[in-house]
Amino acid sequence: MAGKSGREISAVPEGGLKSKILSWEGALVLILIAVNIFGVIVSPVYNATNVLREMPKYLAEAFMVFGMGYILVLGDIDISVGSIVCLCSTVACFAGNAGAPFPVVMIACIGTGLLCGLLNGFIATRFTELPTMIITLGTQIIFRGIAEVSLGSGGSISMSDTTGLKALATKIGPFPLSFFLIIIGAVIFITILNKTTFGRKMYACGSNQTAAKYAGIEVQKMRLTAFAFMGVQAGICAIFLLSTLFGANTTTGNGFEMEVIAMCVFGGIATTGGKGNLLGGFIAAFIIFCIRIVLGQKNVNTQLVLVIIGLMLILSVVIPAISQAFKKKPKV
Amino acid sequence: MKKKVISLVLSAVMAAGMMAGCGQAQQAAPAADAAAPAADSTEAAAPAADTGSAGGGKTIALVTKSAGNAFMELLANGVKEAVEAAGGTLIVKDPSAATADAQITEISSLISQGVDAIIVSANDENALSAVLNEAKDAGIKVLTADSDVAAADRAVFVNQADVNLIGQTLLDAAYDLAGGSGQYAILSATSQATNQNAWIDAMKAAQEADPKYAELELVEVAYGDDEPQKSTDQTQALLQNYPDLKVIVAPTTVGIAAAAKVLQDQGSSVKLTGLGLPSEMQEYMGTDDAHSCPYMYLWNMIELGNLTGSTAMALANGDITGAAGEKFTAGDLGDYEIVDVNGATQVVLGPPFQFTPENVKEWADKGM
Amino acid sequence: MKKKSFLAKLTGSREVSLLLVLIVLLIVITILSPTFLAPANIAQIFRNNALTFVMALGMLCVMLTAGIDISITSTLAFAGMTIGLLQKYNVIHNTFLLFVIGTLIGVGCGFINGLIIAKAKVAPIICTMGFMYIWRGMAYVISNNNWASGADVAGFSDFGKDGSPGPYVILIVVYVLFFIIMKWTRFGRRIYAVGSNAEAARVSGINVDRTVISVYTIMGLLAGLAGVLSVSIYASAQPNMQYGKEMDVIAACVIGGVSMNGGRGSVTGTFLGALIIAIIAKALPLVGIDAIAQNLVKGIIILAVVILNVVTQRMMDRQNLLRREM
Repeated sequence: MAGKSGREISAVPEGGLKSKILSWEGALVLILIAVNIFGVIVSPVYNATNVLREMPKYLAEAFMVFGMGYILVLGDIDISVGSIVCLCSTVACFAGNAGAPFPVVMIACIGTGLLCGLLNGFIATRFTELPTMIITLGTQIIFRGIAEVSLGSGGSISMSDTTGLKALATKIGPFPLSFFLIIIGAVIFITILNKTTFGRKMYACGSNQTAAKYAGIEVQKMRLTAFAFMGVQAGICAIFLLSTLFGANTTTGNGFEMEVIAMCVFGGIATTGGKGNLLGGFIAAFIIFCIRIVLGQKNVNTQLVLVIIGLMLILSVVIPAISQAFKKKPKV
Repeated sequence: MKKKVISLVLSAVMAAGMMAGCGQAQQAAPAADAAAPAADSTEAAAPAADTGSAGGGKTIALVTKSAGNAFMELLANGVKEAVEAAGGTLIVKDPSAATADAQITEISSLISQGVDAIIVSANDENALSAVLNEAKDAGIKVLTADSDVAAADRAVFVNQADVNLIGQTLLDAAYDLAGGSGQYAILSATSQATNQNAWIDAMKAAQEADPKYAELELVEVAYGDDEPQKSTDQTQALLQNYPDLKVIVAPTTVGIAAAAKVLQDQGSSVKLTGLGLPSEMQEYMGTDDAHSCPYMYLWNMIELGNLTGSTAMALANGDITGAAGEKFTAGDLGDYEIVDVNGATQVVLGPPFQFTPENVKEWADKGM
Repeated sequence: MKKKSFLAKLTGSREVSLLLVLIVLLIVITILSPTFLAPANIAQIFRNNALTFVMALGMLCVMLTAGIDISITSTLAFAGMTIGLLQKYNVIHNTFLLFVIGTLIGVGCGFINGLIIAKAKVAPIICTMGFMYIWRGMAYVISNNNWASGADVAGFSDFGKDGSPGPYVILIVVYVLFFIIMKWTRFGRRIYAVGSNAEAARVSGINVDRTVISVYTIMGLLAGLAGVLSVSIYASAQPNMQYGKEMDVIAACVIGGVSMNGGRGSVTGTFLGALIIAIIAKALPLVGIDAIAQNLVKGIIILAVVILNVVTQRMMDRQNLLRREM
């Protein structure tokens, strides 16, 4: 099973604590700890209270890591998620302002996500010749376009009744509600992918679609499911984002798709499909959040922060490749 | 099974790591508690992120619309001047993108740092509400400049110029350049830009209010999204769709420069006016046929910055609370009074300033 | 082996189905806006979208090797911002030199992309995503919140001025050059070979790594060139320039029949794809679609054209199959 991990730093055979620490996920945990220690050293205000206070906006985004992980494992990609988030929050605001009770608002929000995901999945499975990147590029413009048209001039809407949203933003102890949901989500989704037949089928589809098809796996059904999952999670992201924004506008969720993909890749999930572990993506998300929070508190130029994240992304894929090359050399 | 155990262990380690990383700082938390108490033990370890407690000076933060915006840079320079003259320090935060999302991240970080006042030029009227109220609850004074939010979410708005006055001024310019009658069009930024829409609405309202403008016809409001390429496309489309067009009014700095270039390159007889930066526009300004823009308007961005900085300092020092009728002195700019406009308190810098071919170079050299 | 009849060749070609789409599009637009096909307007279509046209060629090469480059507009911004600032601070005002510098910056950016993708075997989308953040961030950092505009780039902007032949000359030169390279040179055939089957190409003695590196370097070169052109055409350098437009370039290629799986695509197809994107951008404000709805319409057209492409292709394949059976 260790072979699932996108990047192995060491070729030590599976089993044993040593291999776990040397796996990519192990390295990520060490990086996360290092980032936190770094944070405490350089920023006097980097403490639990502040980190957890700044976290909710980021946590909303983390919900999408699971869906994107599934899609990447299948060898697909979805760059429309930022726009889905925008459309979902817009619909939720309209529903809320029309007097719908909060549970209905939530259903409307997540349901919109599901519909968007299904549409993506439908086109992807109907026209298999088309790469999902180009399909979701089209729907990316369309979903945000629908939000733009429904928001009209002004392009912004706020939720008039925020009691439900405030309830979502409540804290249990020092932790925001979304923190627990993320942990629960992580356990569920990681287990599904690693432990169930469904998960194994996903890896099979991602590694070799034709082979999977002949092995009797309904590849297209799996892909449709993954896109639908992704849509639902974008809806969940939207509702939690709403709990920090209390409103939606045409730029909501702008650029989320790349950030979420970056988290997955940094976590060791290969965009070529069939490789990687969701756990890595999950930890990587927290690493990126913590780095952003630390650098934000140090007032580092926000564009420089993006440069740093870009460098991390590249190093995270280059270093394993180099170490692999070094390991191979003596054999030659 | 082993994998699951490991996952759980890793999750636990991660959570523990976060707590450990932060836990130790828990007792230092009061330092971050907004209103910035006197220096404590953590201060020595952290010279950089002085949370406003250094030497009694106030720490003011400015959240601009986005990074890489020369317009905002002028404002920031002005604010810095005023804040430092009053003995405070200024933190400038340029969000990575011109969105409310990105501004929330920055404001959230500023709350952690426990600054004394936050100045925001809002990218969205509504979406900052929650985080600004969180800042207020933490004892931070909140004010807006250049682009406002809902009145309840901030203490006061530093307004560059009265909205109706800008609308009236732009309409009069169009009236003048069109020679009293004919078609004119507006080239705006995005259809969502709050202040753009307010100015355009003010123009329309002014036009309806006075029969003098009956001969003037607004044919279209086009949106160039503040992108040179799209603004160019839109300007060309205006020229093509309305052969009788006489004037284009562009109340946005990127749009007016793009439109000016299109008109000038094509040798069009259509005249241009609006709101623009002198440094961007000096190439295109002139009253002859070879230039597209005879005159345009803007306010003094540096002075707007100065006034904003002084207002922020006055709020942070407790000299004013943001209520209508309060008066304060803004450095060299003189005395200002907070006024109430439709239930929203604001400080108004003054009427928009006219730039002509004669004075544009002088202002451009000043860096505006 | 019988030679394919001219008609069969024609209906079997991907470019023809594309041309049909283009004609339908043009008819609809001309009905809505009769002046659309005026010569001045057509010239503007090419000038305003010169960047998309230029970069689409690089993307064609990259996609032929089954790669993708989403860092191009960041490279464009970095190169454009650099030459903008060089003029703003009065370092260099020579148009030719500025073109060389901008293009060289692009070459450098592209070369690094290629090196990492070829040597470290990193997935192209990941590598270029990293550099998308890096070069864009660098453009912001060097700009230090300043713009180079109007007066700063006076003289230089005459090259791309409306009415100046500059952008058209560059467009014609690069398209003719690429048409020749891709069709008749060994290098062009190598790119196709690597994209169709990298392993087979390796076995037959092609240096795959070197081909991949050159492809990304070419992409960088064209992105750098587009950066210089952008500053020249719009007389403005801002760090956020052309943000998100890489998707337009990719869409242009895909619409033009370039396969994202490598090995399939042509310069003619790319040109037609870029032309469709350019026409959409130009036509939307002209045909009187409400400004707010323009993005939505653009998205629907792109998706519709892409799907239509697939459908017509399927029909043609079926017809060709039938013909063979007879």
